[in-house]
Amino acid sequence: MNTFHLQIITCDRVFYDGECESLIFPGFDGQIEILAHHAPMATTVAVGEVRFRDAEGKTQAVIVSDGIVNTADNTVTLLAFSAERPEEIDAHRAQMALEMAREEMQRKQSIVEYNLSSAAMARAMARLSGAKRIHPDDFNT
Amino acid sequence: MANAHEILNRIKSIRDTMKITKAMYMVSSMKVQKAKKKLAETLPFFDGLQKQIREVLLHFPEMHHLYFDNRIEDERELVKRKIYIVITGDKGMAGPYNLNVIKAAREKFSEDEDYRIYCVGETGRHVFMAEKLPVSVDFRMSSNNPSIHRARVMCEMLTDKYKNEEVDEIHVIYTRMRNSVTSEVRTEQLLPLRTSRFLSDQVKKAAQGEIVDASEMEIFPSPEDVLETLVRNIITGFLYGAMVESQASEESARMMSMKTATDNADAMLSELSRQYNQFRQAAITQEITEVVGGAKALQKKKAKKKAKAVAEEA
Repeated sequence: MNTFHLQIITCDRVFYDGECESLIFPGFDGQIEILAHHAPMATTVAVGEVRFRDAEGKTQAVIVSDGIVNTADNTVTLLAFSAERPEEIDAHRAQMALEMAREEMQRKQSIVEYNLSSAAMARAMARLSGAKRIHPDDFNT
Repeated sequence: MANAHEILNRIKSIRDTMKITKAMYMVSSMKVQKAKKKLAETLPFFDGLQKQIREVLLHFPEMHHLYFDNRIEDERELVKRKIYIVITGDKGMAGPYNLNVIKAAREKFSEDEDYRIYCVGETGRHVFMAEKLPVSVDFRMSSNNPSIHRARVMCEMLTDKYKNEEVDEIHVIYTRMRNSVTSEVRTEQLLPLRTSRFLSDQVKKAAQGEIVDASEMEIFPSPEDVLETLVRNIITGFLYGAMVESQASEESARMMSMKTATDNADAMLSELSRQYNQFRQAAITQEITEVVGGAKALQKKKAKKKAKAVAEEA
């Protein structure tokens, strides 16, 4: 299968830098898959699970926070604030963060606080679902 | 003898202080290493973001976004309302580090009429509050152990204010490390973003030959949305970087001043122990003189007695 070069860069490390067959990420209106020789494109990545198949055909899952994907010259760059493998996620901490965010949402908040806690909630939910390996849609509330 | 005792006390207290400065030196040098590592790790991310913005700008050179400095509306505003984010340390004992930032900030403030100060770090807040400058009270940030989370909160607060047009410009005053020894205070404009910083003339020229029309690159859902995410990430990343770099400078300043303090203590100790030895020597000499003097006096007395006895006998 044709491959392309994939770079996943987060603010504290270069998470992945290598060949890849396919990349699926949560886009602005649903999942988007990128294959080799994609047309030049820039788009946003929502908080959630990114899956990619590397050159050996192994599928890897990564939980990312919001970011940007850029494709050019058969090279795909994914810039996100954080990227974690499911096994790296501390489910207990994610659960705590989720509960805290939920509690904060209950309170009357300013728009700034609301944005912050809803973003925190989205991140916590994405990490939890990644840790439990269940689809974000199955996660009710 | 009292004097020698005083010197001993002094030596002891200096030794104790030296233990503290030595420990602080060690802690600071660890923290510098940590901050430097953090800074190096953010570089690829930041470079990537810069590249992306440049690309979006290259494809849509006519775009006049709220976040950029090429808007026509901006030129009509006569007075710019500004926010200054001043990054200082939480604690003192860092040589001239805090003072340098505060001095540079004061200089900036003197040029403006309508501004507010957002302080990161306690030292700056205390100083500006005491001077009755317009310090924002709902913005309390510590500068110790900068985290992405803190940068995110700051970014959210700032972009909210900026988008509601409560402020026109946001500047950051922070300390940058030039190398491991010297650092300098810098002022950067955070918002609106300077388009020229992303689009230097050479890049423009080079790009004109290759990519001109926007159709070559698809942008979903819209350039504005992508820019929104990009700009937020840039702001958060920049704030994070500025905080990390400031902390690295702070710790390296503290490291140096602690090293000087330890060296000074060493010098004082050697001077004091010399003095102490002198005193001790003097005391011993005096004692010996006294003993010898006493013995001589006794001898003389004895000799006199003997002489007297001899005389009486005779």
